[in-house]
Formats: sequence, structure tokens, C-alpha cells
Amino acid sequence: MEAVISQALAEGRNLTEPEALELLKAYGFPIVEHRFASSGEEAVEAASAIGYPVVLKIVSRDILHKSDAGGVALNLCGPDDIKAAFRQVIESVKKHKGDAAINGVLVARMAPPGTEVILGMVRDPQFGPTIMFGLGGVFVEVYKDVSFRILPLTEEDALEMVQEIKGFPLLKGIRGQGPKDIGSIVNGIMRLSRLVQENPRILEIDLNPIVVYEKGCEVLDARIILM
Amino acid sequence: MEQGASGSKSRDSLKAVFRPASIAVVGASANPEKWGFKILKNILDAGFQGPVYPINPKAGEILGLRSYRSVNEIEAQVDLAVVIIPAPAVPEAIEECGQKGIKGAIVITGGFSEAGPEGAELERRLAEIAARWGLRVVGPNCQGVNHPHHSLCASWPLIQDKGEMAIISQSGTIGAAFMDWASLDRLGFSAFVSLGNRADIDEADLIEYFSADGDTRVIALYLEGVKDGARFLEAARGCPKPIVVLKPGRTEQGRRAAESHTRSLAGRDEIYEAVFRQRRIHRASNLEELYDFSKALAYLPCPRGKKILIVTSSGGSGVLATDVAALEGLEVASLPGELAGRLRAELPSHFVISNPFDLTGDADARLYRKVVEAASPYYDAIVLIFGDPLPGASEVVTQEPPQVVIYLGGADVERRERELFHLKKIPVFPTPERGIRALSQLVKY
Repeated sequence: MEAVISQALAEGRNLTEPEALELLKAYGFPIVEHRFASSGEEAVEAASAIGYPVVLKIVSRDILHKSDAGGVALNLCGPDDIKAAFRQVIESVKKHKGDAAINGVLVARMAPPGTEVILGMVRDPQFGPTIMFGLGGVFVEVYKDVSFRILPLTEEDALEMVQEIKGFPLLKGIRGQGPKDIGSIVNGIMRLSRLVQENPRILEIDLNPIVVYEKGCEVLDARIILM
Repeated sequence: MEQGASGSKSRDSLKAVFRPASIAVVGASANPEKWGFKILKNILDAGFQGPVYPINPKAGEILGLRSYRSVNEIEAQVDLAVVIIPAPAVPEAIEECGQKGIKGAIVITGGFSEAGPEGAELERRLAEIAARWGLRVVGPNCQGVNHPHHSLCASWPLIQDKGEMAIISQSGTIGAAFMDWASLDRLGFSAFVSLGNRADIDEADLIEYFSADGDTRVIALYLEGVKDGARFLEAARGCPKPIVVLKPGRTEQGRRAAESHTRSLAGRDEIYEAVFRQRRIHRASNLEELYDFSKALAYLPCPRGKKILIVTSSGGSGVLATDVAALEGLEVASLPGELAGRLRAELPSHFVISNPFDLTGDADARLYRKVVEAASPYYDAIVLIFGDPLPGASEVVTQEPPQVVIYLGGADVERRERELFHLKKIPVFPTPERGIRALSQLVKY
């Protein structure tokens, strides 16, 4: 995986999403099933291999925030949907940023609903690489309900950072929902910390969202920024 | 100091600062208005056990001591220099100290990095010269070092009560207030170090030093920002003693104020919060808590769990204590049937057997003891609120199980009892909230 990072750095860009997902997979993260497609036809092929419904996401070195650029289409249920979405995604991205280099799209299985969490890494100027955990969506954006730990961290630290967020009861299970797989989040935190320690040229990581189920979890989206 | 200089090497090099056998006061003055006079006088009045050499270009005699033009004129070995001369002259003075073989310096003078680019350059030179000679420096721009266990007060105010709490501070006044309270409480302190600009010695060095200092049981810090994150993490990891930190900068405005006060990079508060939790550091949210938490951690044994009984002579104080206890995650658990039965049989019938346990106007020291003795096997800690002039309170408290004493509303009797408690090294807290929050620190990690 070192080679992928070196190549991206040589090309003066960050990791593309397929590269980021590969890197995460190499560290044992459960990743949503996905394929790369460079045309509408390829996207249809990919979707039938994965199984419907699927999502399409733009793959471009120039687009960091895919949704803001109109580069994401959700819940696509058949070949016609996909072909139309492919055209539309490419068009919106070009409109958003005329000179964006577009590689194609990522076709990913539409994940079943679960509890969305985020996991990330930022570098603190004083304490170095810092892992962040929080509940996804409104919880992180509005309530800033997140916890941090400095590297290196222990499994106990990882569990504490999950337990200390205010929204923790949502993971323990409320209103008849079963408890979510907290062990899988702790494993994710430990994997992320190993990845960060072994890849010092990564500046920032944003895994948002990771969907957590009663058994297991799955990374749906990854952004890895290099130094 | 480089990373490799941590641990015992760093500790040994600080001996010249904390346990010198002799001191030169560079910039000693015969003028009582000047710091060079006041600090020399404090060093003498604190009863320092070794020779003290005033250094002043005009020589003569200061406070009855022969004064020298330069440290080089002193024939005997000198361990520590206390430097109180204008900033531009400091680097050269440190150079002379190095030549003389002096291994520690406390630079009181300001006008260094806090004052602008020229000052920063002076500070850089000072640090470079000190490093070249292996001379360790506290400051510059600081309020000095007070180490009552070594009768060393190169600082102000002159407070000498020996105790077990070390206070390390980026603010002289906050350190002084801490010492003052500890002195009034007759608990004392083990050392005070004013960090100043941290040209050399920083909080990580001091955590390492006091981790191994036999007189210190708890390390209290007022910190506007760490100097070196990695070193701080390392020092805190290796420290077997409780550390309490008061770290302001929770707001953007506070961070800006900190940066202008000490040039500290105040950093993101949530990251500091994470660092403190990860290193099992107790975070105080104000100056009283810094003192209260330190006092509790230094003098109270750790309860086995979170189940507490509140015994009070004041109903209102019992309610306040219960509220805070619940907020802090302590369990104000009802009395087990066996204990309730026993107390019902032994106490007058009008007592309500509950937690908080209100002894009402009947309360006296003997009654507290009776309840505590009966309840001890059932609780992890007992909170005793003396809410009236209750003589003899200090005679009925033991530390098995841990007992937190809160005394208020007792006027002269309270003041006498508080002193008696403190002489027995049992801390007394002035309000239910402060006592309970201090107790919660004992079971936090």
C-alpha cells in the first residue's frame, strides 16, 4: 500500500476513494462491496455483480466533497436508473468544477440501515495524530458529540472513547432496537490507529459514515488526505 | 532538553535547583524596594542551610553578607544562581555561572520572549548557553522556586509550611494563592515552581522530578498550554502520583488571553480533555477545585467503589451534597435493612433512617461516631457534614472507610476543629459541593 501513497504524492494528489478503501481493507476494515466503473455500461455490469440497490459516487482527484458537487446518487434500483444517474453525476460535477479530472464512478452496494458513526484522524499541532469518534449526521455536525484520543492508544482507551459520547445510549440500543456491535467499533479504532502509525505520510482521515449493525459494521465512505 | 534526557538523568540535573548546597543571588540589592533585596531576604528568612552569596557590581555588604562583584570571585563551589538583573545582561551572567560550575539557575527577570523579538533572541541565547554548560534553568520571567523541605524560598511570598502537594504554575499568583490556602489550612506544600517562559525546564521535567520526590504525593499544575506535547504525554504516563491540572482556554476568548499572557499555544480544548482522560489526569475547572482535588488526592485514601453514605447535622447541606453526588455519578444508596434495623434500635425514635442521614439538632460528635461505626461495613466512603458548632468532630473521624469531612456554619468551633482535623492530615472542605466534587475525583479513574 506504500506504493499507492507514494504514487499519489508524486502526482500531487490525495488518495482516490477506491484507493482509500483498498488501504482500509488491507488493515482489515470491513468495506462496503464496491466496484469501479468508467462508463454507464460498466456501471450497470458492476451493479448486477453487486446486486441492487446500489449507489454511484464520483471518482475524481479534484473533488473532495462528493455530495456538495452533486457527485452522489443513492438507491438506484435498475440499469436505467444507473445509466441516467451516471450521466447526471458526471454532468453535475463538471458544472460544479469545469476542469475536474473525472476517472469514473464507484458503484457500491446500498447498505441496509444501521447506526451511522464516524471515525477520523487529525493531527494536533501539540500532541500529534489524534483519533476522533462520534455518531454520524446531525450528532457530529450540530451537537459536536465526538470524543478524541491521542496515539498510541489501548483497547481500553478505544472503548472509553466510544462510551463517553453523549449519544452512547443509541449504540447500546433504545426503543426496542438491539445493541449495536460496539466491539466492531473498538476494532475499527484499533485498526485505524495502526494504519496511522504505519503510514506517517497521511495527514487526515475521515471515515464517514461507518454503519454499525447488531453484528459487525461497514465503512461506506472514506477520505484520506496526504501530507 | 532533548527527549533522551528524560527520566532519572533529567531528575538528577534538577537537584541543583531544588536541593542546592549554596546559592548566589545575582542582582542582590541593598535597596528594600527592589526584588533583588526582597528575594535575598526571603532566602535568608526561610533559613536556607548553606552559604548565600549576594552578587552586585558595587560589592560591599548586603543584609549582613559580604557581596561579590561576580560569581567568579567566589572561591567555594556554588550550586544555584538566582538571577534578578535586567534581561540584556542575563545571557552573559549565565555564561559566567556556567564557567563557575553552577548547575542550576532561577531567572526571575522578565523582558524575554514575552516582550517581543529582541527578548526572544535573548531567551534563545540564554537557553543555548545554559544547554552548553549543562546548567538547568527555571524561567525566565517567573516568580521563582519555593521548596520548604529544603528551606529554600527563592520566591515570594515567604511561606514555609512543609506539606505534600507540589504546585507547578504558569502564573505566579495562582501558585501563591495555592500555597497561601495550603498554609492557612496547616497542610502546607512540598514545592512551588513558577514556570515562566520555560526556556529550559518545563512541566514535563517537573512532573518527572516530583514523581520521584519523596516529599510529594500529588502534583498540581496551572497550565495555559503544554510546551512539548510528546514530552508531556511521556512524563504523565510515567508518573505514579495523581496529577491535577487547571487548564484554561475552554473558549476562543480564553485561548487568545492565554496566548497573550504566556505565549502558550492553548490548543483545542477537546484534545486537552482527551489527553487528560487518557493519562488519568484530574482536570479542575477552577482554582478552588485545583486546591480541593489536590488536597483530597494527597490526604484521602481511595474508596473501593462509589457507594456513599452522607451523615449530616444540616438538612439543606445533605440535600446539596446528594444532588452533586448524583451528578458526579456517586451512589447515594439507601441503608441496607440490617443497618437500618440496627440504627432504629439504637437511636431515638424520631430519627428518619435514610441517606442522607440527618442527625438534626440532636447531633453531637458521639452520635456521628455511632452512625459511622455501624455503617462502615456497608459503604465505600462516608461523607460527614458538620453543619453546626460541633466540638470534638475531629476526634470521631477515622479513615476506614474513607471519610470526607465538610464543615460549615460552625463559626469559632468550626475554625478550631478545622485546624485540629488538618493537623491530623484529614482534609476539611468548606461546602457540600466542594467536598463531594473532591471525593468524586478519588473514584474517577
